[in-house]
Amino acid sequence: MSEGSTPQGKHPTHSVAPALRSLVPVLVVLTLIALVPLLSPSNRFLSLAISAGINVIALYGLSVLFGQTGILSMGHAALVGVGAYTAAILARDFGVGFWLALPVAALTSAVFAMIVGIPSLRVGGHHFVIMTFAFGQLLAIVLTNGGDYTGAATGLDMVGPVNLFGADMGDLTRYYLMVVAFVAVAAVASWAIINSSYGRTLRAIRENEKLAASLGINVGRHKIGAFVVSGVFAGISGVLLANFLGHISPTQFASFPSIYLALMVMIGGARLITGPLAGGILVAFLPEVLNLDPVQSRIVYGVCLIAVILLLPDGLIAGIAAFVRKVFTAKSKERQRQENGVVSNPSEARR
Amino acid sequence: MSPILEIRGLSKQFGGVAALAGVDLAVEEGEILGVVGPNGSGKTTLFNVVTGVHRPNAGSVSFRGRDITGSAPHAISRAGIGYTFQQAMAFAGLSMLENVQIAGEHVRAGANANTPWPTPQALLDFVGLTALADEKAGVLPFGSLRLLGLALALATQPALLLLDEPAAGLNDRETTALVGLVRQLPGHGITVCVIDHDMKLMQMLCRRLAVLDFGSKIADGPTEAVLADPKVLEVYLGGDL
Ligand SMILES: Nc1ncnc2c1ncn2[C@@H]1O[C@H](COP(=O)(O)OP(=O)(O)O)[C@@H](O)[C@H]1O
Ligand SMILES: [Mg+2]
Repeated sequence: MSEGSTPQGKHPTHSVAPALRSLVPVLVVLTLIALVPLLSPSNRFLSLAISAGINVIALYGLSVLFGQTGILSMGHAALVGVGAYTAAILARDFGVGFWLALPVAALTSAVFAMIVGIPSLRVGGHHFVIMTFAFGQLLAIVLTNGGDYTGAATGLDMVGPVNLFGADMGDLTRYYLMVVAFVAVAAVASWAIINSSYGRTLRAIRENEKLAASLGINVGRHKIGAFVVSGVFAGISGVLLANFLGHISPTQFASFPSIYLALMVMIGGARLITGPLAGGILVAFLPEVLNLDPVQSRIVYGVCLIAVILLLPDGLIAGIAAFVRKVFTAKSKERQRQENGVVSNPSEARR
Repeated sequence: MSPILEIRGLSKQFGGVAALAGVDLAVEEGEILGVVGPNGSGKTTLFNVVTGVHRPNAGSVSFRGRDITGSAPHAISRAGIGYTFQQAMAFAGLSMLENVQIAGEHVRAGANANTPWPTPQALLDFVGLTALADEKAGVLPFGSLRLLGLALALATQPALLLLDEPAAGLNDRETTALVGLVRQLPGHGITVCVIDHDMKLMQMLCRRLAVLDFGSKIADGPTEAVLADPKVLEVYLGGDL
């Protein structure tokens, strides 16, 4: 511990600047998306975009869980459902409005995540996938058999308008802009978590659980924590969904929607902050763009998922980025070779 | 003075195999104790049971007078026992410096608390890896990975450090450097318990050796006496002694 000590300032604890840069593309894209109403899009487009945005909010939570710890929830739509039903029941029974419903629903979904997470994450990753899947099915059954309280199979109507600073959010364009704002908040929150020392601890667990535990990291509790965090995002997504649709029913939150959410996060990629946004938009608009019926689109998604898992395990965006980088470095190397007339040392070329 | 670590009647079965068959061992504060024995004699299992990686079938482990038998690995780390695994490992996707930072972030009051502890940079310096601080751990040569493992374990502020074959795979120069580092640890308030096959290395490091064979302790005492013990010689006959 004697000579050659580095000056304290050379290695900052968290390199904030490059991390901040990763947030820029998302915010730029979201700003562009917020300008879309200027092109007077159709109501159908706005509705589709709102649904996609609501999914993306849940995806940002899922990306903290899956991207940072490598564990995947196959019942995430159920946590969205908990948020949605919480909002609907609070509005019906207590006249609770949108803004108060948000924190309450976020908390309720987080508590449900904890209840599901504690027994299943203590056992291990594979059990977790099955347990979350079972939770989704169970919730649908409970909601379907909940009588008048949950509205049984028909579900519940969402009563009460959404107001923001006195403006009625019932207007489609306004609701669209509000959802875009929520997506931005979700992206920033997810980014902040990933770049915190907590996020780094989660990454350490993903890299090597055994080593992490030997260094004093409570692996089980951190995994449950990440699932609870993802539950908060899901709850907020649920409140936005209930208020947008005006009516919710159990099948919306059963296993198929959950598989779709898992699909979106895998296609987009969970480790990059652009991933959830890309995955959510792609899965929402692909059938529209290709003009597919529901059965065809399921087939396309299945094929996409297999292709992504096999070819781009870090998701589409990371795959494209890697491809671009490869082309770019190949080109710059080519140029260097032409300039120098010699084959350069590849390890130097990287610097 | 009572021992810092006291192992009593420790047993561990894997299926039909008794990896540990009632081992008693006391580690005295401030010493560097060597644990030797042929391959498969239960050395790694002993460390794994002490550090909570495996639960024992019988017996007890007490650390600084507190029973820690069957506690979780993270709790044992926080209590003040550091561990480097026989398979060198690190968080491959993170930089060396980040690796050591993470290792130091979960220290609790129970560990080697009262002493001021070196910063992550200083720890990298100590093991001679400063030049590689910003490199991803995944690209390290094997020798550096071992040294990083030592820095990680030290970052947890251990009062007792368990090293499982820390010199395996190191070249002569790296091994000499490692010996120099480990010898300094008792001076910093860290008791050491080390496993290795290399008897020359063990003679340099340890004044006391414990020998395991088929999960039982067959010798325990001053290094020279143990190495002259007929029982030990028999175990190692034709071996690497
Ligand atoms: N996780 C495990 N599962 C099954 N058997 C194991 C496990 N770990 C060790 N063993 C067995 O226990 C015995 C002791 O192994 P180990 O403690 O690794 O020996 P050493 O470190 O002295 O070479 C061996 O027979 C080994 O095969
Ligand atoms: Mg071993």
